[in-house]
Amino acid sequence: MNTLGIGASLYRLVTKQKAFIAILVMLVIMLFSGTEFYTAYNLLDMLNSTSILLILSFGVTLTIISGGCDLSIGGILVVSGILAIKFMDYMALFPAILLAVLFGAVVGAINGFLVVHQKTEPFIITLGTGFLLTGVAQQLTNAHPIPAKNPAFMLLGNGAVQGVPNLVIITVVLFALFFWLMRYTQFGRNLYAIGGDYEVALYSGINVIRTKFLAFVISGAAAGLAGVLLSAKLNTGSSIYGELTALVVNCGVVVGGTSFAGGIGGIPQSALGLLVFGMLDNVMNMLTITSYIQVLLKGAVIVAIIWLDCFGQKRRRETV
Amino acid sequence: MNAQVINRAMRGTGSVLREYLVLVMIGVLAAVTGIVEPKFVSGANLVNIMRQFGPLIMVSLGMTFVILGNFIDLSVAGTINLVAVVTISLIQPFGQIPALLMGLTLGAVCGALNSVVILTSGALTQAEALFLTFGMSTVYSAIALLYSGGTTMHFWDITKSKSVFEAIGSGSVGPLSVSFVIFLVLLAALWIFQSQTKEGRAIRLTGGNKTAARLAGVRIKRSIVVIYTIGGFMAGVGAIVLFSRITTAAPVIGAGYETNAILSVVVGGTTLKGGKGSVLRTVMGVLLIILMSNCLDLLGVSTYLQVAVKGAILVFAIWLDNRKQV
Repeated sequence: MNTLGIGASLYRLVTKQKAFIAILVMLVIMLFSGTEFYTAYNLLDMLNSTSILLILSFGVTLTIISGGCDLSIGGILVVSGILAIKFMDYMALFPAILLAVLFGAVVGAINGFLVVHQKTEPFIITLGTGFLLTGVAQQLTNAHPIPAKNPAFMLLGNGAVQGVPNLVIITVVLFALFFWLMRYTQFGRNLYAIGGDYEVALYSGINVIRTKFLAFVISGAAAGLAGVLLSAKLNTGSSIYGELTALVVNCGVVVGGTSFAGGIGGIPQSALGLLVFGMLDNVMNMLTITSYIQVLLKGAVIVAIIWLDCFGQKRRRETV
Repeated sequence: MNAQVINRAMRGTGSVLREYLVLVMIGVLAAVTGIVEPKFVSGANLVNIMRQFGPLIMVSLGMTFVILGNFIDLSVAGTINLVAVVTISLIQPFGQIPALLMGLTLGAVCGALNSVVILTSGALTQAEALFLTFGMSTVYSAIALLYSGGTTMHFWDITKSKSVFEAIGSGSVGPLSVSFVIFLVLLAALWIFQSQTKEGRAIRLTGGNKTAARLAGVRIKRSIVVIYTIGGFMAGVGAIVLFSRITTAAPVIGAGYETNAILSVVVGGTTLKGGKGSVLRTVMGVLLIILMSNCLDLLGVSTYLQVAVKGAILVFAIWLDNRKQV
């Protein structure tokens, strides 16, 4: 009886807090690696390089909690980054950034319209819009990276306040904002309700259509902002980040414990999930693992974690 | 009474039109391009179109079964990468026929492995299968990179006979290219499998409604293994046709084939909801995609813009497919 209890609680811990355990394992490994992993510089650098993925994941979390998902963020990311640079030729920095974010929101609205109003499968239709946008990005840049000419733009992506990189500060602010949105507002609670049971939410008088639609708009806008920041960080706009980013971010969100079943999860969980990928990159670089093995390990981690998510759901189905 | 008949007839025409929209579009596209650009109907261009049928149609035929079963397979890109580099490297030590057979087996094994991952995890929805097969694709691609060391392998480095691959790549039987003949043979086999065998029916039942299929005594687990194995095998065939034509194999040549294959299947009219569709429809879908890029090429539209156009068509086709169900 007792051993069963331990086994069950261990099983629960592994299925519920996969990301936490993965991070713990990496931290322990790095303790004995003799590298400069545990330095403020490296840890901040790790956060800095994960910041774009984190911002993307905040928006995606909303769509996944509402029972959908958003695979178009890779396309939005590249196009809005390129647009921000192109707009800067004609206007000041701030309006250019605003327009690029707005572009993301518009794409999100189109996704939302197709998924919520027209009831298409979210993952396949957003894969389609993402594919479309990748083509647009290639056309805009002729598939070559384009440089940004505004020094203030570069400073935005590479500057630091008291040694803390700007991107990390922006990510933390957005984290707080999204956390508040999901935890303390009616909109957030409604999203959980819709993802948990669409019919029940509908009959409870929640405006399901508008709420779910807004989730996609916010996801698009977040991806637009992430694209601008990525361009600022690299000081170039390029079409090469596409589908892969979208799939990795969606996997990262699930890694954190937000399930495709909908209604479960949250912003902190997603942050943890994406940190697994950020830390994995950092750790593999620290341990000087060759890039091909890195690809292999990343693929294996994705399969393992989605596998566990599905397996957990199967268990739940069978116990009910 | 009379009005009713006319009404019904018109509705009938409407649904027939919608059902065979892709055929109509192929006709319109061919006619318009033929008028605008007379080169389009020249013999050279027709041969060109036939050659372009090559790898994509093979991958798409396999994908048809996966989608018929209401699943999806993003791993074909990784499978193509892996099969291409492994097969080309085996020609020198083992000879061409064993290399060919081992390559085809490897494709089927990759596909079967996907189904094992899906079955053991208990994934039932397309979304879950999408992410699992994406992970598997990354794994296969990484193995291809490790195996080849990231380098491109060339035909001219192989001193042993490679006549079979050269024939697949550029040979012809009468007016038809060898790859087209292979396509016809495989199409016939897969069509018979899909429509005339018990297993083919089981796949469609599984795709239509898994619970109902299981209660009716269909072995859905077996169907899942079968569809992914066919998907992997056909991706392997696609890989061999692809590298035979371009006479080199890089560990990244499969990139983009997964999206294009899904595009062809959906545009052809096989529904993403599973259960309804056919390999013949996929052939029409591929034909439309090839005609379109051929036409855009002739009109001087850039390759990049073509990707965007394809994306727009994909979104439109999914939307239309969805409307048909409602």
